[in-house]
Amino acid sequence: MALLTRQERRHFPDWDDPSQCIFHRVTVDLDKCDGCKLCTLACPANVLEQYGDKGKKKVRVKADARGCISCNNCYAICESGAIQATRHYDFVGYYRRFGRGEFAKPRMF
Amino acid sequence: MAEGTARVLAVEDPEEVEQEAGRSSQIPVVPEGAEWNAVERVMLQRRSIRKYRKAQVPAHLIRRLLEVARFAPSQGNCQPWKFIVVRDPDMIRGMEDFCVGQCRKVSNAFDYATLPAGSLKYRIARIKAKLFGRLQPNVLHPVPVSAVTAIAQGRFAVFHRAPTLILILMDKRGVGIPPVDIGICGTHIVLAARSLGLGTCWVGFSKLLNESREWCERLGVEPPYEVAEAITVGYPVGDTTHMIPRETHEIVWFESGKKQILY
Repeated sequence: MALLTRQERRHFPDWDDPSQCIFHRVTVDLDKCDGCKLCTLACPANVLEQYGDKGKKKVRVKADARGCISCNNCYAICESGAIQATRHYDFVGYYRRFGRGEFAKPRMF
Repeated sequence: MAEGTARVLAVEDPEEVEQEAGRSSQIPVVPEGAEWNAVERVMLQRRSIRKYRKAQVPAHLIRRLLEVARFAPSQGNCQPWKFIVVRDPDMIRGMEDFCVGQCRKVSNAFDYATLPAGSLKYRIARIKAKLFGRLQPNVLHPVPVSAVTAIAQGRFAVFHRAPTLILILMDKRGVGIPPVDIGICGTHIVLAARSLGLGTCWVGFSKLLNESREWCERLGVEPPYEVAEAITVGYPVGDTTHMIPRETHEIVWFESGKKQILY
């Protein structure tokens, strides 16, 4: 028994259909975000941008963003703990992912 | 000969061997819930760094990284790697330009997501993408394709404007599965770099350089070697060492005749 059905193996998801290529958006806590822009530099998928007036700048996910890989590089670089990815990306069909649990920081055993 | 064999068989219990040699060593005990040790911390704090400070990394630190790489495990101890270090900004920029050009070609040919939906161009690109995707499912994966387009549109740099670039060449005649050895070797480099306060990023797109006769000649990449991976090295912008949350994975665990699923 294979994990993918025959139909799934043949289905290559449409890159422009968010219901087939499921990239999640990072959550930004606007109360904590100081608009320092470091996360926009660290993001490998180039999905973050700075916005707002001078002195009150914040960071947000771009409207046409595609391809956040939930790497949490933004989380790693953020000094104020304002940004975080909480779910991994997934696909419909051939690239469907298996056996993923909840997000967790390194756990000591 | 026969006598020697008999002796080896007689002492094959490793604990007996230790005792015979008079150095029965203790098993180290790490208590449950112990703090991360230095190596674990380095592993957990390593991130892929894509924004570097302009300052060049001292040459002796790069030598140090390559020295650690030399001692990476490889199948049959075949060490199927060769390193090329590039620290001339003009050269790195030249390689960048070449790779951007290749990404443009791939993006234009396949990435229908950038085209107006339903147009003829869109439909042609989509058919090509689905067809080639079947042949090269790892290359035309949705994730690298959006990176290719980002590079083509100038939103993303291939080599991240890093001051030093280490190209890892692979001897295709290596024992077993040489790409695995390249991965292990590079892992030595990136972890050692993190421990020295340096940032690194794996650049798989460096493989595009194999398609350039000019760059292969200039860099001295010739069969049986090929560019397998590249690692950018530099001082990171910002403090990237906060440990991050990441998804857990299913673990299948067999013990005492039972099967458990852990996360």
